[in-house]
Amino acid sequence: MEWFNDFWSTYSTLVFSVGVHALLALSIWLTLSCGLLSLANAAFMGIGAYVSALLTLQLGWSFPLVLLTGGIAPAVVALLIGAPVLRLSGVYLAMATLAFGEVVRITVLNLEITGGPEGLNGIPLETEGWHIAALLALTIYGLARLRRSKVGRAFEAIKEDEVAARLMGINVDRYKLLAFTLGSFIAGVAGALNAHFTFFISPREYGFEAAVDILTMAVLGGISSLIGPLLGSSIITLLPELLRSLHDYRSFVNGAVLVLVVLFLPKGLWDPRRFRKWFGKAKGAEA
Amino acid sequence: MRFMPKSIALISALACAGVAQAADIKIGIAEALTGGAAQYGVAIRNGFQLAADEINAKGGINGNKIALVIEDEQAKKEEGINVFKKLIFQDKVLMIFGPTLSNSFFAAGPVANAAKTVVFGTSVTANGITDIGPYTFRNSVMESDVLPITVATATKHYKLQKVAVIYGNDDAFTKSGYDVFKKVLEEQKLPVTTTETYVKGDVDFKAQLTKIKGSNPDAIVCSCLAEEAANIMLQARGLGIKAPFIGGNGFNSPKLFEISKLAGEGTFVGSPWSNTNPAPANKAFVAAYQQKFGSEPNQFAAQGYDALHIAAAALKDVKLSGDIAADREALKNALPKATINGATGPFKFRPAQTKTGKPGGWDADQKPFIYIVKGGKFTLYDSK
Repeated sequence: MEWFNDFWSTYSTLVFSVGVHALLALSIWLTLSCGLLSLANAAFMGIGAYVSALLTLQLGWSFPLVLLTGGIAPAVVALLIGAPVLRLSGVYLAMATLAFGEVVRITVLNLEITGGPEGLNGIPLETEGWHIAALLALTIYGLARLRRSKVGRAFEAIKEDEVAARLMGINVDRYKLLAFTLGSFIAGVAGALNAHFTFFISPREYGFEAAVDILTMAVLGGISSLIGPLLGSSIITLLPELLRSLHDYRSFVNGAVLVLVVLFLPKGLWDPRRFRKWFGKAKGAEA
Repeated sequence: MRFMPKSIALISALACAGVAQAADIKIGIAEALTGGAAQYGVAIRNGFQLAADEINAKGGINGNKIALVIEDEQAKKEEGINVFKKLIFQDKVLMIFGPTLSNSFFAAGPVANAAKTVVFGTSVTANGITDIGPYTFRNSVMESDVLPITVATATKHYKLQKVAVIYGNDDAFTKSGYDVFKKVLEEQKLPVTTTETYVKGDVDFKAQLTKIKGSNPDAIVCSCLAEEAANIMLQARGLGIKAPFIGGNGFNSPKLFEISKLAGEGTFVGSPWSNTNPAPANKAFVAAYQQKFGSEPNQFAAQGYDALHIAAAALKDVKLSGDIAADREALKNALPKATINGATGPFKFRPAQTKTGKPGGWDADQKPFIYIVKGGKFTLYDSK
């Protein structure tokens, strides 16, 4: 037990980060599963973080309510911007969502209530391990059910061929907006959780770099199933910590690992089709 | 993932190497050694290494040698928290110096404070740093201590009637510098003709400077980082503005006058440390630093160097029991009384004024040096 206490006091924040990053990777997986390359998730996370932190600091709301609002606020924004933005596709959508991220960042920079570039400090520690575990479990369960439902099939159809999906009678625009809004809700909750265990938030944490990080997590793990984003986010979070003893070479090795994965496993680490191929070969050898 | 076993073997080998050098007093150094703030973090680390070598060469503190446990916090908040937790709970260091930037301090400071471990910042100037709690210390002189003296000295020297202000409004450092300038100018009843802003990365300031020129100020107050400040100076002279500049801590870079050449003549800057301060402690520091690292020290290295000497002065009066919790508490109680005469001049702590009225940490009580730029060089201002 003492061993566990030692481990937990040193690494609890790291474990929290793994959970929050998993939520973020799942949030972008959701839009990717509908064929949308949206890079607005970092901004949604930022909106969730700022709204929740302000509610805690200024109004002293209870934490469950804060978390819920942290998710709803970006979802409302997503609903509003979704209608025009989601008419775009491919790289144009990526560009528009990136631009939206910049708009959010600059707005936060120039507002008085958000502390401008100095950010908000003194956010109380509210997030506990079980909050993250429960929300992550709930999200995974919900998304797993969603995949097998009519909605999930519709997402899949839109991703594979939008025109065909439309001809099949799927309301493409509505389903896209649903994926976009649900994704923003998850990202917002993740932002709220993160703000309440890191004591401090500032606009630069939710900029371009964060947007790319979130995308990397999902793509590294593989987006063909829910396991991919979970795997990718865990690796991206844990790898720098595992490499800490390399000191000066840490960033270098970390980057090299990512490059190798992308070069040799372009579909991500978790690719059931590849596993099936391996498994099939092994069976073939036996016969 | 075929390369994993190898890297795990490498990691464990390195980890063992770290354990092998057991030492008497373990002190954690968490600075940004990579990333955007590395230019500051590396200088600070050098300052610490120099001070530790000096103290150990003289036989340590009451016979105990100092061992620095140096970690890279990359100026990221999560990284800062992780590093702090590792140093406190795993390496069981007596105290921690760092992190480099205020944002990491706001995130990691509460962790150390909750774990009842002294955290000592050497380069964090933001307001509210020492509000975190009684275990927070810093020897970084705040802008609110430096700027009133800088502005007052410049006002007297140039007989200023009115000034213009320009600052970067999207950077935590320049924005908080501006807030202090604004307050100081109000207090010293110096009218502001116009306030102009820019964002990080701007290279063309002619629009703002034209407006400033039209308002005809006696001086331009500038809360900017060195890169932008150099451009602002050059373009101001290009537009025929003759007014001198008054700068904040961001001006404290030799780079500024490498780029701006003679455009910055007559600029007033305040700094916690002076390269040319003839005090013996500073001369010894500058010489030793140049010998060890082969480069000129800067303000950040000097503050790191002094910080370890401050801790050493406090540790002289602490009887280490070997019980880490008791020793950390004893150090926290001894540190506020520590005084030294270091590279940055005479130093002592003063209790922080917290916004909430709760007992806070300890700020630096130190007089800044005021420079005037002459011939492209910082020259100590002589009021005579």
